[in-house]
Amino acid sequence: MSYELNYTIGSIPLEKLKPKKVRKNIELTLWERLYIPEIVRGMIITTRHFVQNMAGFIFPPNGKKRRVFTVYYPEEKLTIPIAYRGRPVLVMREDGTERCVACGLCESICPAFAISIVGGERRRENEMERYPVTYTLDMSRCVYCGFCEEVCPKEAIAMSDEYEELAERDRNRMIYPKEKLLVSEKRLKNRIDYVRKIYSKNNYNAK
Amino acid sequence: MSDLKKTLPTEYMVLNMGPSHPVTHGTVKFLVTLDGETIVDFVVDIGYLHRGFEKMCENSTWEQVFPYTDRLNYVPPMINNVGYALAVEKLLGIDVPERNKYIRVIASELSRISDHLTNVAASGLELGAFTAFLYFVEARELVWDMLESLCGARLTSNYVRIGGLKNDLPEDFKDQTTAVFKRCRELWSDVDKLLTKNRIFIDRVRDVGIMPPDEAIAWGFTGPCLRASGVPYDVRKANPYLVYDRMDFEIPIGEKGDNFDRYLVRMEEIIQSMRIVEQALKEIPSGPINVDMPEYRWQSKDDIYNKIESLIFHFKTVTEGIKPPPGEVYFAVEGTNGELGFYLVSDGRGKPYKCRVRPPCFPLTAAMPRMIKGSLIADVVPTFDMINMIGGECDR
Ligand code: SF4
Ligand code: SF4
Repeated sequence: MSYELNYTIGSIPLEKLKPKKVRKNIELTLWERLYIPEIVRGMIITTRHFVQNMAGFIFPPNGKKRRVFTVYYPEEKLTIPIAYRGRPVLVMREDGTERCVACGLCESICPAFAISIVGGERRRENEMERYPVTYTLDMSRCVYCGFCEEVCPKEAIAMSDEYEELAERDRNRMIYPKEKLLVSEKRLKNRIDYVRKIYSKNNYNAK
Repeated sequence: MSDLKKTLPTEYMVLNMGPSHPVTHGTVKFLVTLDGETIVDFVVDIGYLHRGFEKMCENSTWEQVFPYTDRLNYVPPMINNVGYALAVEKLLGIDVPERNKYIRVIASELSRISDHLTNVAASGLELGAFTAFLYFVEARELVWDMLESLCGARLTSNYVRIGGLKNDLPEDFKDQTTAVFKRCRELWSDVDKLLTKNRIFIDRVRDVGIMPPDEAIAWGFTGPCLRASGVPYDVRKANPYLVYDRMDFEIPIGEKGDNFDRYLVRMEEIIQSMRIVEQALKEIPSGPINVDMPEYRWQSKDDIYNKIESLIFHFKTVTEGIKPPPGEVYFAVEGTNGELGFYLVSDGRGKPYKCRVRPPCFPLTAAMPRMIKGSLIADVVPTFDMINMIGGECDR
């Protein structure tokens, strides 16, 4: 039993919709029903993959241990792209203080309500400056969305490339205080440049 | 057999399948009443993955909804992002730059490829074809690597913004696509050879879970399952959004509406989606990706760092959210399972008054009893695989 193709969508002609029938081989041929040739064909495909993988082990390409798709984590690691959003970290200036001014934008945009900040003031180089007295990031809530990085007006928080050792057995230990979040400027330089690039003016429509 | 039944009265057996059953991809429970191995009654029990998406949206600003939409149908999150962004843009009445539209098409189609790969791989796995699963998971891995280099995450993409995008395409994206698609096509043809004419597979899926076209329309089917019944309805063609009207692609349709047709439609759609991505990458113009409307799209970092008025306005839009005019819109995109619609109501404040999702797999799941009654219990597996119910989307 098969149905006539007489369904049109509104007034759109069938030529525009370009339907393509994909139903194939309603009845299998005797050859296919015989089963053995099909098994042989399948075996050829799987054997080809097996031999290719085997060759990948025996003749590795230069500078690599093997040429197979599997990555032997944790001995080997993938190279992750610059766009990768790992654990959010606070940018630490060279003198060990944080760039953050406790403006609270990241706290209010965070869709998971993972950030809580208590702001204060301190003296730095004869100037009064705002700083976060406490900056707590609940890693058990964070969804790695990257909004905190996108809204921060001070380049003070960035998504690092760290994705390891974030799991804990105890949720309380996943609440990261400021000290655990600080990462030096130098290590985050690539990411900060990248952020500056992707949100730069030339990506915006000129008026 | 019938004589035997008369003399040997049998009892119906009620069986709970799920909620933690390997074939219930999300978490869903079937209450199956069996007469021997034949299904007499079938009740689908959904709601195990209900997280209150719509209520959460009402308590967050319009931008903050994006990470939540990632978690609807979590295999192709980009399509959810795009659908929500387009709905909000329709509410605002703004148009996005050309380059943005092309990138959104590329991202959606890559997501669609990854979803169909997952679906076919998983159904192969559950019917015993582990090899096909491994091949397609490799292909999916490659596609996800591309998405990762594009948006920074494999599944929780959070890539599209209202009136813009998070970032532009990476520089080597075109070469990467060529290499990945070459490998994907190889793996596709391998899996095609392994499954399409495989008698074990065909015996399990053919003539199982049949849905005639008129009933499919009545049940509210959309997407591959409706097309498998022979109705050439695709939102991308019937109601083109973004730049789909400039793309040359075909809608695969089946004839009988059984599981075999659904499988074939999905396989063909992978190829068609690859064609769309290639065309879009060829035609993509250069230019900006965001609208320059500080009231709707957060401003560029250059402005925020250097201009005090931009900074102040930035604070205002982030904390209060953008403020669309009061009104309501419905906008649908072609999700991987069918029409994914967003119905938004704004009361002029920074938060959605209502954000309703039309999940494409809800009508499909609802029609499970219709498709499965009278067949054997083993047919539940391929049928449920092929409608591709995703808990996160169905239960929200
Ligand atoms: S990445 Fe997202 S969820 Fe995590 S702290 Fe930043 S804004 Fe919050
Ligand atoms: S947005 Fe930036 S400056 Fe403001 S509180 Fe967050 S990290 Fe600090």
